Amino acid sequence: MEDLLEQTIHGLTLGSMYAMVATGLALMFGVVRLVNFAHGEFFMLGAYTFWFAFQELDLPYPVAGLVAAAAMAAFGGVYQRTIIRAILERSWHVQLIATLATSIVLTNLAVIVFGTQAKEVPTRLSATVFQAGGLRIAWQRLLVLGASVVIFAALHWFVKRTKIGKAMRAMSQNREACAVVGVDVQRVALVTFALGGLLAGGAAALVTPLFNIFPDMGALLTLKAFAAVIVGGFGYVHGAIAASFIIGVSESLAAGYISYAYKDAIAFVIMIAVLLWRPQGLFGRRIGI
Amino acid sequence: MRIALLVLITLLAALPAWAQGGSPIRVGFASAISGPSAITGEGVIWGGTMIVEEFNARGGIMGRKIEAYFADNKATPGEAVSAVRRLVDVDKVDVIIGQTHSGACLGAMPIVKELQVPMVIESCSNPKIRELSGKGGNEWTFRVNIDDEIMANTFAKSMARSAKSASMIAQNDDFGRGAAAAYDVAFKRAGVKLASTEFFDRGQADYRPLMTRIKRTAPDAVLLVMLASDASVFMRQFRELGLTQKIYARGSVATVEFLNQVKDNPSIGDGIIEASFWTASLDPDWERKWLERWKTPVRVHGSMAALTFKYAVAPALELAIKKTGRADRTAIRDALEQIDVKDSPVGPIKFDENHQAWINMILIEMRGGQLKVIEKLPTSPAILR
Repeated sequence: MEDLLEQTIHGLTLGSMYAMVATGLALMFGVVRLVNFAHGEFFMLGAYTFWFAFQELDLPYPVAGLVAAAAMAAFGGVYQRTIIRAILERSWHVQLIATLATSIVLTNLAVIVFGTQAKEVPTRLSATVFQAGGLRIAWQRLLVLGASVVIFAALHWFVKRTKIGKAMRAMSQNREACAVVGVDVQRVALVTFALGGLLAGGAAALVTPLFNIFPDMGALLTLKAFAAVIVGGFGYVHGAIAASFIIGVSESLAAGYISYAYKDAIAFVIMIAVLLWRPQGLFGRRIGI
Repeated sequence: MRIALLVLITLLAALPAWAQGGSPIRVGFASAISGPSAITGEGVIWGGTMIVEEFNARGGIMGRKIEAYFADNKATPGEAVSAVRRLVDVDKVDVIIGQTHSGACLGAMPIVKELQVPMVIESCSNPKIRELSGKGGNEWTFRVNIDDEIMANTFAKSMARSAKSASMIAQNDDFGRGAAAAYDVAFKRAGVKLASTEFFDRGQADYRPLMTRIKRTAPDAVLLVMLASDASVFMRQFRELGLTQKIYARGSVATVEFLNQVKDNPSIGDGIIEASFWTASLDPDWERKWLERWKTPVRVHGSMAALTFKYAVAPALELAIKKTGRADRTAIRDALEQIDVKDSPVGPIKFDENHQAWINMILIEMRGGQLKVIEKLPTSPAILR
């Protein structure tokens, strides 16, 4: 029983990480109808920014985390103003190549700037363990779980209650109509990308004390987040969050009870199964013609 | 007239040396320069650059300068083929040192045979490489480092002294799977029960599900077949879970690279014993020069690449030039078959009929942030019988 509980907590931690990255991806797709294949690199840059702020500048953990999130929000904004704006009206082929190229450029820039040796950012919370009976969990994992609940609640409030959040929802339904009624679509897109960056930076600050930081870390994460977005229903933020936790927990249980070697395949097996059973995703709506 | 004749004879005698001095020897280094294993290639670039500069500062080999070329194999078989093609077709190298990773080595072997360029392997440990080299059919491939079949037979006996059962956790690639197959056999021979074998893809974020499986099987020891960047994350989570099994390792776990990763708490690695063939203390002078030059701890794979050049390729080049006056690919291959270096930091280097050198195996123990060679064991083909 303790085994099962432990595996579930690992899965929820992984799910939190996938969810914060997948949410950004889903928001971007929902609002501007573009798949950002460089989104995993947002997470990677956030992780390096956090490492720099925490270890090199010696800032306290919460401050370093906020610096990483803020820096990635700014990066998201700049990315939208430069690359995304230039390709938004182009065909999906151009968008695919441009975002993939950005991903490759960012990864190689990280190799040049930070080197190839993996970096670790242990914190006091990642080094201390909460123990209850035979259950042992690093406090950092509990922080990840707690913080992700707060972050998703704040995101829900932002999208539902604020004017810009409502504009984002409106744009996800009909971008042209929004432009016609005077919504500043470029500004909404800018906020969406900044928000995606903020979430990726925040996720990086929360989970990197548990893992390694290395230039390629974003590649698999992008694919997993992409799978979560598809499973949840393309463009549905709540769907992406739920699917991320489903994938995280399934992966962890499969690794613990079936095979660790094939755990990465689980996300994609789930994705294929959902596409066969419900092509619109678990939470998406079927579109009739 | 007599003076003119003397001058002419002197000039003719000096011609081969002049001609040799004019054409540098091109040496290619292939390793993972990008991708998740890029740390190995970075080390190979540094080690290769340093050793070639060292030789050139002394006037090269037999008066001929050395030129180093580097190619990226991304640690994969397919990219290793491209790396060899690039080194041979574009850079026109005379000999290749590499490919660091077993999958890349196995991928490169058919193409070096096809292109007829000698390749001297510095640290790929898949046992298949020995079977396929020399009399195994590929006369262009040589290997300096010992492989996992050679090491497993010795290491398993050592592990059997303190463990009756063991779980194995290995990289999901040719290195990890080759080692796992070798240890599977060696454990049976040594009387160690193999409780479980798990494979993982490199760069994992979370090893805890895997550790929960270890907790259930409760072996006496765990054998890690992995590199430092994965091992540091693994060991942090191993300590987090409060597991107490004795840790044995193959790869680059008991290394300064690992200690650099866990410098906030070096005790994470306490008690790990690794079977290897190289550690910094075997060559303190090299370690000092590396630190001075690169301001970072000495790397295993870069050092093995440099050592391969210094103690295998350079003697072969010297022998080839002395015997044939040439340093072309065939002459280098023939010379590699004849070299007999007795005093390298890793032990004697002389290739057998499978083009395998039988260097020493060492056991390194990590404790309190320090690495200590606790045993140095000579190897020979008798180990496999």
